[in-house]
Amino acid sequence: MPRDAEPSLNEKQFVITALQENLRLDGRELDQYRPLELSFGDQYGAADVQLGKTRVLAKATAEVTVPYTDRPLDGIFTIATELSPMASPAFEVHRPTETEVLLSRLLEKTVRRSGALDTESLCLVAGQKCWSVRVDVHVLSHDGNLIDASCLAVVAALRHFRKPDTSMDAGVLSVYTPAEREPVPLSWLHSPFCVTWSFFGEEGEIAVLDATWLEEQVRVGSCTVSLNKHGEICQIAKLGGTPVDAVSLLQCTSVALTKVKEFSGLLDRKLAEDLKRRDKGGFMSELRAENDR
Amino acid sequence: MPLDTSTYNLALLRVDGRRWNELRRVHAQIRTQAAADGSSYLEMGHTKVMCVVTGPSEPGPRRGTGGGGAGGAGAGGAAEVVVSIVIAGFSSVDRKRHGRGDKRTLELQSTVANALAASLHIHLFPHSQVNISLHVLSQDGSLLAALINAAALACVDAGIPMTDYVAACTAGSTSTYAANDEGADPLLDLNHQEEQELPGLTVATLGESDRVVVLVCESRVQVSRLEGMLAVGVDGCKQVREILDRVVREKGRRMVQEGTVEKGIGLNEMDVD
Repeated sequence: MPRDAEPSLNEKQFVITALQENLRLDGRELDQYRPLELSFGDQYGAADVQLGKTRVLAKATAEVTVPYTDRPLDGIFTIATELSPMASPAFEVHRPTETEVLLSRLLEKTVRRSGALDTESLCLVAGQKCWSVRVDVHVLSHDGNLIDASCLAVVAALRHFRKPDTSMDAGVLSVYTPAEREPVPLSWLHSPFCVTWSFFGEEGEIAVLDATWLEEQVRVGSCTVSLNKHGEICQIAKLGGTPVDAVSLLQCTSVALTKVKEFSGLLDRKLAEDLKRRDKGGFMSELRAENDR
Repeated sequence: MPLDTSTYNLALLRVDGRRWNELRRVHAQIRTQAAADGSSYLEMGHTKVMCVVTGPSEPGPRRGTGGGGAGGAGAGGAAEVVVSIVIAGFSSVDRKRHGRGDKRTLELQSTVANALAASLHIHLFPHSQVNISLHVLSQDGSLLAALINAAALACVDAGIPMTDYVAACTAGSTSTYAANDEGADPLLDLNHQEEQELPGLTVATLGESDRVVVLVCESRVQVSRLEGMLAVGVDGCKQVREILDRVVREKGRRMVQEGTVEKGIGLNEMDVD
């Protein structure tokens, strides 16, 4: 099993000593994110998130399938994460590492179990036909903080996604192509975002947001908080690591809430921009014979 | 399967008759398996967990996706803590098959391993491995808390040096995520019914301090509820720590009485550095 090269002792010491003086290698504040870029593809449901050198692509797709027998009234919603060797030599295909398992569990808890997508609305014919919505998360470049970037990409992809319109007429289910009817957005209830804190120092007293890969290799613990802009916690995960004072964890959560509101605003703005870009001015303008040439 | 716990407001008693700040009966034993390096059996209410610790020993051949490993084994500077959890098919009401690669189990394994690695002095055992194997015999809520407590007890029995007990318990809140009622009470130590219906979190603290090793919340809850739940949880951990400590001391006293160990090999006579 290949491993990632560990930073040298000098490098580790340098990062830690700098952090103790409130300095980060890239000159950010401790609670500052790297520049965040979000863009949508030409197709519906493709979102590309760049957080510094970390880059994650999420693509949502939908198909009609048979629902699970124990849940005849629910559609199917899955989030697939596979970390390919493209992102880091430590990742192998078809052999989930601990990072991958924890990432997919976190996304699952944040987006799926918190009920962000109304799965009942995906049901077409009870017990017979339903939509199966699947989001594939591809990590294109790994420079730390995969969780926050992937979560943002998944939520953005699902909010951007449109599924084909359907109708039921006298027991016949018809699915329309985009040319026949405009695709419809998913029934989306709230947008959760992850904010990951990394802890440094003997007692975990230095809390840092959006750690780079180097910082992640040096940290003594981490805590991921998922919230939506209404101040609802969807999930908290501090899975072991150096003990951190309970009061500082509470402070981390309240700072996370302000970050989540920023993410939420950014996503809303980007979605509105994308909608404007796609809107060609109604049906009549689409039928025009004139073109740019 | 939503159950009706709305009667709480009438008598301030929970479905199993406890008040908000009461733990369920915690019963624990250590040195249950004579042949193992360390072993324990722990019941928190109807949640029953068994734990066997082997090591620190020479690491065996590396398994592919062994799950929860923690500690710097790669650097060779510290022992690796490897946890494996087996959830028995008969442990819950609906007989469910839990595969070995179940992501939830893998997450539990990694959490227990990382939680213990924080308190065990694994740096004293370079190039070695501590194997913790946990068996879930019966599930009735607070599973992660029971697993952490059982593993901590077994590590004490195995004689692995550690900073202090890692004690865990759960806390919840009587409000649902939608209700914005201010009169919501925090609850201590959720059982399965409450866990299904109410928001809750698992807390593990190190020793008597307020320092949180594990904090896991898997349900939707207002951010304002967190403080109350966390306070009750941390307080519960202190109670659990007392119970674990009593179990260890009681066992030690009995072993001295039975003559299994000689009295007086205390810390003051040992070479502690």
